[in-house]
Amino acid sequence: MLRSAATNLLRQADQNLGHSSFNLQFVRYRRKPRWLPVAKSKMFRIPEHPEQSDEEKAELLRLHNHYRTQMRSVRLFLREEAQRIRQTSSADHLVMTPEEEEAEFQKCVAINDEWNKKISEERNQRLEADLQKTKEFVDERLEAFRERKEEHIENIDAIVKAEKEMAKTFITREKLDEAIETALANPIDYNFSIDLKRNMYHGRLTRPEKEQRQLEAAN
Amino acid sequence: MSVVKLIGRKTDFRGKTLWEIVGNLKNFGVGRVVVRNMFERYPEKSFMRILKVEAVPNEEIRKVKVTVEKTFRGVTSQKPVVIFSSSYKADFKLIPKDEEAEYCKVSNTKKQVILSPEMDLPPLLREFVIDETKQTNPRMKVHFKENLNKLSRLAKEGEKPNLEVPIGLGTPVSPKLYENCL
Repeated sequence: MLRSAATNLLRQADQNLGHSSFNLQFVRYRRKPRWLPVAKSKMFRIPEHPEQSDEEKAELLRLHNHYRTQMRSVRLFLREEAQRIRQTSSADHLVMTPEEEEAEFQKCVAINDEWNKKISEERNQRLEADLQKTKEFVDERLEAFRERKEEHIENIDAIVKAEKEMAKTFITREKLDEAIETALANPIDYNFSIDLKRNMYHGRLTRPEKEQRQLEAAN
Repeated sequence: MSVVKLIGRKTDFRGKTLWEIVGNLKNFGVGRVVVRNMFERYPEKSFMRILKVEAVPNEEIRKVKVTVEKTFRGVTSQKPVVIFSSSYKADFKLIPKDEEAEYCKVSNTKKQVILSPEMDLPPLLREFVIDETKQTNPRMKVHFKENLNKLSRLAKEGEKPNLEVPIGLGTPVSPKLYENCL
């Protein structure tokens, strides 16, 4: 039954293979899966065990006993060795005396100091350069700010100057009568007219020259 | 005479569970002798004399707690042993009263194995160790776990061991098997 199901699936896979990524790989279940019961045909089969003679049994027992002891002993040996190495040394030395350890430590400290010194020099140089750069930048910005401010003040001065100049012509209370008289004396006519040729004629009563002439002639 | 034909798989067990034996006896069989069929394969005598029987709650069907004086391979243990976890095994046999004396006669005991506390290293490891430590003949400890049931022990200081675990084949028990190979 299982095999027929698998065959069906495989057939489907063959059909689909041409145009899809549906791909079946059958690796397991060459035999019956674990959860299925014993096959009907195998139900009453009794596996035959090979007969062992007493000599063979005794010899195999001896060999197995020895093998197990050997393996356990080797494991014990390696375990103890590993533990010893872990306790006594870091890398190549198996054993180190306290003096050697101290010397090793001092050596490490010296190397570390050297590295620190080198790195600190590099860092100082870098910081110095950074400081210089920042200074230049700040100076530049300050200069620019100063220039901008000066320009601004100049502009303001110019405006004030212009305003002061203008203030001379302002109509004050004292000048009011005079201004009214002047205005009355010099009326300004803002009216104008335009003809079809876009000629502009200022003044309320201004006419084109031709018409003007005709009018004058008529008068 | 009827012929008995056994069908099905073989089993190494032969007999009854301990409760089947003990539950049918007067005073639960205290003082009687039971035997495990499995232990009858040894040439030395193994048997158990019942000292005390305790029934257990009904959850543990087939099981019973029996304290016995155990003799295994001719060696009688010092302390009484409690059989509980193996009591369900259908491998026990009751010795009839009239055969007890005959059965319990211990003629020979298992020879105690005295293991050498050290053994040779395997060849390649040996080469490595010699290379590293400059020892001429490095040896390693023999792994041995103390256990009350064991009929073997490690040799003490100055004692002569009767078994040195070899690396390699060693001396065969049955040289006949190696006749044409060695």
